[in-house]
Amino acid sequence: MPAFPYYDGKAIEALNGQAVSLLGLFASRGYGREEPAVLQPAEIFLDRSGEEIRRRTFTLMDPSGRELCLRPDLTIPICREAVMSKRSFPARIAYNGLAFRHQPGEPHRPTQFFQAGVELLGLEDRAAGETEILSLVVDALKVCGLSDFTIRMGDLALFNALVDALALPAGWRSRLKRHFWRAGYVESLLYWLGHGDGKAKLPGTREEIEVLIDARGDAPMAGRTREDIIARALDRAADAANLRLDAKVADAIAQLLDISGSAEESLTKVRALLATAGINLDPQLAAMDARLATLKSLNIDPARVQFTAHFGRNMEYYTGFVFELWARDKEGPVQIAGGGRYDTMMEMLGAKKPVSAIGCAIRTERVLAAKRGGK
Amino acid sequence: MLTLAIPSKGRLKDNCNAWFTERGVVIEQTAGARGYRASFAGMPDVEVMLLSAGEIASSLLAGDIHLGITGEDLLREEAPELTGRMHLIKPLGFGFADVVVAVSAYWIDVATMADLDDVCASYAGKHKRRLRVATKYAQLTRQFFALNRISDYRIVPSQGATEGAPAAGTAEVIVDITTTGATLRDNGLKILDDGVILKSQAQLAASLTADWDAESRKACEALLTRLEPSGPLYSTLAAQLPR
Repeated sequence: MPAFPYYDGKAIEALNGQAVSLLGLFASRGYGREEPAVLQPAEIFLDRSGEEIRRRTFTLMDPSGRELCLRPDLTIPICREAVMSKRSFPARIAYNGLAFRHQPGEPHRPTQFFQAGVELLGLEDRAAGETEILSLVVDALKVCGLSDFTIRMGDLALFNALVDALALPAGWRSRLKRHFWRAGYVESLLYWLGHGDGKAKLPGTREEIEVLIDARGDAPMAGRTREDIIARALDRAADAANLRLDAKVADAIAQLLDISGSAEESLTKVRALLATAGINLDPQLAAMDARLATLKSLNIDPARVQFTAHFGRNMEYYTGFVFELWARDKEGPVQIAGGGRYDTMMEMLGAKKPVSAIGCAIRTERVLAAKRGGK
Repeated sequence: MLTLAIPSKGRLKDNCNAWFTERGVVIEQTAGARGYRASFAGMPDVEVMLLSAGEIASSLLAGDIHLGITGEDLLREEAPELTGRMHLIKPLGFGFADVVVAVSAYWIDVATMADLDDVCASYAGKHKRRLRVATKYAQLTRQFFALNRISDYRIVPSQGATEGAPAAGTAEVIVDITTTGATLRDNGLKILDDGVILKSQAQLAASLTADWDAESRKACEALLTRLEPSGPLYSTLAAQLPR
């Protein structure tokens, strides 16, 4: 695809035909189509999604000086509308439209592309939600006439539960969770954990900390309260005092992060490692089993299902189960769909209480290319 | 004709003139050009332009001039990926300044980028919006924060007086340039231990996208040889120019 695609009559016809089939399938499962504006106020993307999406978002100024952007995805504006219009849940929403992304350093990638997708918001039964979305994405590709694809799965909840099971200070647990998706970095954090981070210079008592702060009384507070700072300083001092992780456990995590391959074999390995480390993650593993069972019931060959332990989408809002579907076009492997759970998004967008959320998006132009040029 | 831009004002201009003079190259003001054009004595093939430091960086990137002298901070901000676009011929030993990450000295629990990462994440969790970083170095900031695995922040563009942003409440953190750190200290800010993004100084740089015809190459070779008779300055540059 060129950076600025041009759609000729044939391409339009193919895309439209496929869109009609997809939206028909979504409608038959209760997902009504909606469409957010292409041009969006920039704040929701810039404030809620962090610098990685910001880096890839086209922003512009309107004549009054207001910052706008071309939507980098449809999920955020759809979720925001659901919050603003106080939708009743569960809500099932489908979409098909253009998304726009700057591709820094990759001038051959298209800056705009079509996405067809669904969002399932506020369904309390998570397992049911995951089964519903997995079935839908598999059926969607079937409707498009594409059967030759593989599935990669991961689950941030598995890693989070693992970290929660470790005897670590809270600050370290949240640091490990936050960096889960950055290959290599987690390993170096684990190393630090074994050896301390050598920065234990802070005083340990509240009085000592308050003296230090008072000496800086003229400096700006810069968005944090005195209590924030004292609490974190105390945490750090406590961390430094007892920052050690049993070598056996650290090894088990490092090995676990390395696991990747056929889903069934991988999960067997995960279970063996957890048993060695004496950690129980049965509920999370049962959830993975249920997803595999769903795929089996959809007649997906287990050999086509991969599990990657440190698989996290390079998007900052996923919180649990994540998946990608891959096929081949004439240039090689290409990701044709992706999705997962993003349970904190609705609150980030202003919902008063947690609203579970799961969804997926299909790159429809890539599906067509994979059908044309596969093998 | 070879075009070379030098800073039009301030200490950078004075240092630049001194640097050329030390190497026997004398800058002559062109009459009637209101001080924005000059030439080198005895080098009619070189046109010298006086531009602002920022304009020099963007003109090099655009290929409007062959050579320019400006701060490395501006060059790297203008073109995060130098390869194929610009070549740094020589650091000049003046115009030293650091691009740094600074936070309020009140944040006694924050000394490193790892601490800042923690604070960014807990701030985003608590306030449902990202911590703001004021800077005129958006590109350098993005690169450096990505390198340090920090994603929970947003950049607020700032033009001038960036050091006042935390006190004014328009940002919580800043990325700015500093020479002695005095301005930061005066504003109650401190540099993070591992928060030096770039140790910058004035650079003689070449645009690789400018129109390098035979005449400008010849003039460039003569100039660089004069500036550093025994050095490989020109051959290193020539290796990168399109054939």
